[in-house]
Amino acid sequence: MATTSAVYISVIEDVINKVKEEFVNGAGEDVLKELQGTWEAKMMQAGVVNAPIERSAAAKPTPGVTPVHDLNVPYEGTEEYETPTADLLFPPTPLQTPMPQTPIPTPIPQTPIQTPGTAENYNIPTGASDDSGGGNAGGNTELKPGRPSPYMQPPSPWMTQRPPLDVNIAYVEGRDEVDRGTSHQPPTQDFFTMSAGKRKREEIPPQYQAGEFIPQQDGAGDAIPELFEIEICGGSTSIGGGGRAYGKMSACAPKIPQLDGPIPDPYEELSTPNIYNYQGVFNEDYNIANTPAPNDVPVSTPAPVVQNDVGDDDEDDEPPLNENDDDDLDDVDQGEELNTQHLVLAQFDKVTRTKSRWKCTLKDGIMHINNKDVLFNKATGEFDF
Amino acid sequence: MATFELYRRSTIGMCLTETLDEMVQNGTLSPELAIQVLVQFDKSMTEALETQVKSKVSIKGHLHTYRFCDNVWTFILQDAVFKNEDNPENVGRVKIVACDSKLLSQ
Repeated sequence: MATTSAVYISVIEDVINKVKEEFVNGAGEDVLKELQGTWEAKMMQAGVVNAPIERSAAAKPTPGVTPVHDLNVPYEGTEEYETPTADLLFPPTPLQTPMPQTPIPTPIPQTPIQTPGTAENYNIPTGASDDSGGGNAGGNTELKPGRPSPYMQPPSPWMTQRPPLDVNIAYVEGRDEVDRGTSHQPPTQDFFTMSAGKRKREEIPPQYQAGEFIPQQDGAGDAIPELFEIEICGGSTSIGGGGRAYGKMSACAPKIPQLDGPIPDPYEELSTPNIYNYQGVFNEDYNIANTPAPNDVPVSTPAPVVQNDVGDDDEDDEPPLNENDDDDLDDVDQGEELNTQHLVLAQFDKVTRTKSRWKCTLKDGIMHINNKDVLFNKATGEFDF
Repeated sequence: MATFELYRRSTIGMCLTETLDEMVQNGTLSPELAIQVLVQFDKSMTEALETQVKSKVSIKGHLHTYRFCDNVWTFILQDAVFKNEDNPENVGRVKIVACDSKLLSQ
């Protein structure tokens, strides 16, 4: 180490002396002194120069020990960085829990609820990954406040995705209704079907409820109720549509709908729920499997109107998928950073390989290993691949 | 005289680079002059390694990745052991970057 430090000091002096002429003619000698002072200070801070350096040494008496400790602390942290990858999973959970509390009490139930939900799980992991990355970087802290909104947003895309499927179904239903009741309503019904697409969000939860996720859906349903109201209005316009909406209402939120539940036409409910459930399953798989194309295709085929929504859904879908990719990339980046923690810079004289056994001879190298700088004149390497 | 920019990635090189960056951003140093300093560092560091360093090291480990591109060998070792006069150092993962020494002598 002492040797390394001495070599570094001599290099600094050599560089300063040889560029002095340039500085005297240009920026001035004071700038050169500033350069040397800052450089040496950084070296001492890094702990690679421990001996007192002339003036700088006087300025900063305790060289080696203190700085070394400083480095050790951060470095250990970085080394653990990899291991923490597993830890990353842990931090997210605590982080998420506080998150909801801080923003709004209402979201809290939703978030946990969503977590249990299969589809929602997708969102949660993403948040977790973000948290992990953020926790490390520290920059994510800002994101935390925003998280609630992100959570809300992701659900909407999901909801939207499902809706298209539902819409198709709903559209068909609308036709049936038209046949039954007033003919002038068809256009209105079409509009309703459009709104139904939004309803689907609401409707979807009910399906899940059927699937046992009832409590979780209620969380999502909180936001939904508003949508219901809108739909209900539409329902008032069209008798058949209204019936549907009520039925959906009942299915979605047991509180209000229960009363309505009996009112809606059982036929419609039965038909819709079954289909919905089927589609709902589809969507869940879709989310998990990340195979949007197949699902979208069937949806788009039945109702062209829905296609627009589907397109939006696709766009919405992409972000989450990309996020996953990004997470993977982040991991890779972390790995690379780790690689740079221990680094050997050298010149090679010869590199040979016999089968899987590699031999190399290096010279004039600088190694930064285990937080220490070591210089070597020659090095021999034997590696197994 | 040919030089490698390789050593700029070392601790001493990074410290110099950071210093120069700060001074250039402050406007106290011109970018051209900063580059001159870096080039001088390349020369001084190479010369110091040749003349002042005599130690030898042996490296063993599992070769995770090897790459030879633009006359630069890159090895990534896992569970590597570095032995010099002092004591062996164990490293879970280390990257070795080596330029062709023959390019300097030309």
